[in-house]
Amino acid sequence: MLISNRKKYYGYLFITPFLIGFLLFGLYPVYNTFALSFTDTTLMSREATHIGLDNYTRLFADDLFMRAVSNTWLLWTLNFIPQIGIAMLLSVWFTSTRLRLKAVGTWRALFYLPNLLTPAAIAALFFSLFSFYGPVNQFLVRGGFLEEAMHFLQDVEITRGLVIFIQWWMWFGQTIIILMAGMSSIPIQLYEAAMVDGAGGFQMFRRITLPLLKPILIFIFVTSLVGGMQLFDIPYLLTDGRGAPQGSIMTNIVLMYLKFGSSQGHIGAASSVGVLIFIMTTVCALSIFYFLRDKDQDAEIRSRFRLRLQRTEGGSRSAGAPTLPGGEAR
Amino acid sequence: MIRNYTLSNTISRGLIYLFLVALLLVTIIPIWLLIVNATRSTTEIQNGISILPSTHLIDNYRILLSRGLNIWRGFQNSFVLAAATTIISVYFSMLTAFGIVVYDFKGKKLFNNFIIVLVMIPMQLSIIGFYHYMSRLGLTDNYLALILPSIASAGTVFFAKQYLESMVIHELIDAARIDGAGELGIFHRIMMPLAVPGMATIGIFAFVASWNNFFTPFILISSRDKYTLPMLVKTLQGDVYRTEYGAIYLGLAMTVVPIIVIYAIFSRYIVSGIAMGAIKE
Repeated sequence: MLISNRKKYYGYLFITPFLIGFLLFGLYPVYNTFALSFTDTTLMSREATHIGLDNYTRLFADDLFMRAVSNTWLLWTLNFIPQIGIAMLLSVWFTSTRLRLKAVGTWRALFYLPNLLTPAAIAALFFSLFSFYGPVNQFLVRGGFLEEAMHFLQDVEITRGLVIFIQWWMWFGQTIIILMAGMSSIPIQLYEAAMVDGAGGFQMFRRITLPLLKPILIFIFVTSLVGGMQLFDIPYLLTDGRGAPQGSIMTNIVLMYLKFGSSQGHIGAASSVGVLIFIMTTVCALSIFYFLRDKDQDAEIRSRFRLRLQRTEGGSRSAGAPTLPGGEAR
Repeated sequence: MIRNYTLSNTISRGLIYLFLVALLLVTIIPIWLLIVNATRSTTEIQNGISILPSTHLIDNYRILLSRGLNIWRGFQNSFVLAAATTIISVYFSMLTAFGIVVYDFKGKKLFNNFIIVLVMIPMQLSIIGFYHYMSRLGLTDNYLALILPSIASAGTVFFAKQYLESMVIHELIDAARIDGAGELGIFHRIMMPLAVPGMATIGIFAFVASWNNFFTPFILISSRDKYTLPMLVKTLQGDVYRTEYGAIYLGLAMTVVPIIVIYAIFSRYIVSGIAMGAIKE
């Protein structure tokens, strides 16, 4: 300990590469995006002029931007609700000592598999499966469920439903793993004490599991939101790359890419889309994180349980926030 | 009373297994159809669904290669890129995490919170500014632009920190210092060998994330011979392959199967890796 204290400055040495990397490849690009959003830079132009807020006023003038934002929120919300719902149900079942289900590890591992697969390939796969001559039409027509083959990807509701389904399909397995990690770190004595007091299964879920899972739920909520606001691969590759049918799956980043990839390559306009979405997402994520994470309440619940625990058995573990490496969660 | 309880328990267990099987079918069928269709001829695919593989894998492979799409090149590109990104991000994340866990310094708590905030910020939205910056440096269409940013990957640092906190032995480090080891030497020769399991887990995630990344290379890379597999997927959807369903499915399967193989081997580490952060206060 004493020696470590004398080596204090080494801490800075070890974090310096990260800080330099962050300044060069994290902070500066963010600054540059903000700066570009006030200019009329294009892919071709060598010089650019400052045009103030013109890019922003133009964004709000046509309704494309608001459509993209509302599409993104819609696609995310409708995938997140069933995702957390199914994951919660399965996690409760998988950790239940009463049900004692078999091969929990295998079920869980299989449900997680879609999360690792290349989203671009998954979008292309569903594009093929649901194409006019694709297997889904064959199955439905031959099975007598449909009179004739359908253009699934020309129907607004079905296409949106597919994006939502794919997102749910890719992410519910991961949510199960995180929820289960949280649930298994709740001390079993709490449930035993509650059972002695005559609490039922649902009561225990509401009064013990949910409150103690709160930090983990917030974590899942925030990471999913941040990922969901950046949804690109699936809607871009599922249809024509412009949000067809009728712009119904055009998301924030699809719009940003369209500005960037247009024949002139409007870097300035694309940056302004990026800036607005960046601000919206960051504000939402950070405020959810800080407003919902009321430590007092958690501490109170825990201390109440600790009193109980002293009567049964000592030692309390609580649910900390789990973490994901690398990739972004949706 | 007790018999009733066991009976209802058995029934609900039966229903739950039924539900799980249904969910499993939903999870697996799309992937299964992808792999099976990669072995079927276009005619067979057009004639109906099958859950059994056929014999046209080689034919599909020939068609896939005959239309000017170099899938092995894409395979090689994706692999090189993912390997480089993995090495860089694991090494530098470990370095940063070691600094946080082992040393007490002023601003450490601030730095810690900073990492957590970074995890929650959508950095991908600054891609346009990044592109413009790289083009000024002449680094567009260069893998360096995709590899170097992984020096500072906040998510990986957060994860490495959680791992190191659970395994670093301060007494061991002090003992090494008494034996005259330098701080960097301690990191390289004592800590890294001990942290191999954690680094492997973090590495798998970094590798898969890079392998699957479509957006960043799609924005930055323009020469065809530098295309990665996810970028080739877009080419597969184009006109050249329009009616060659077998070849399309094979191309997609070649993108996805390596990941499935990695998962089949390391699934235990991967699943426990996701849950690894759930530790005590």
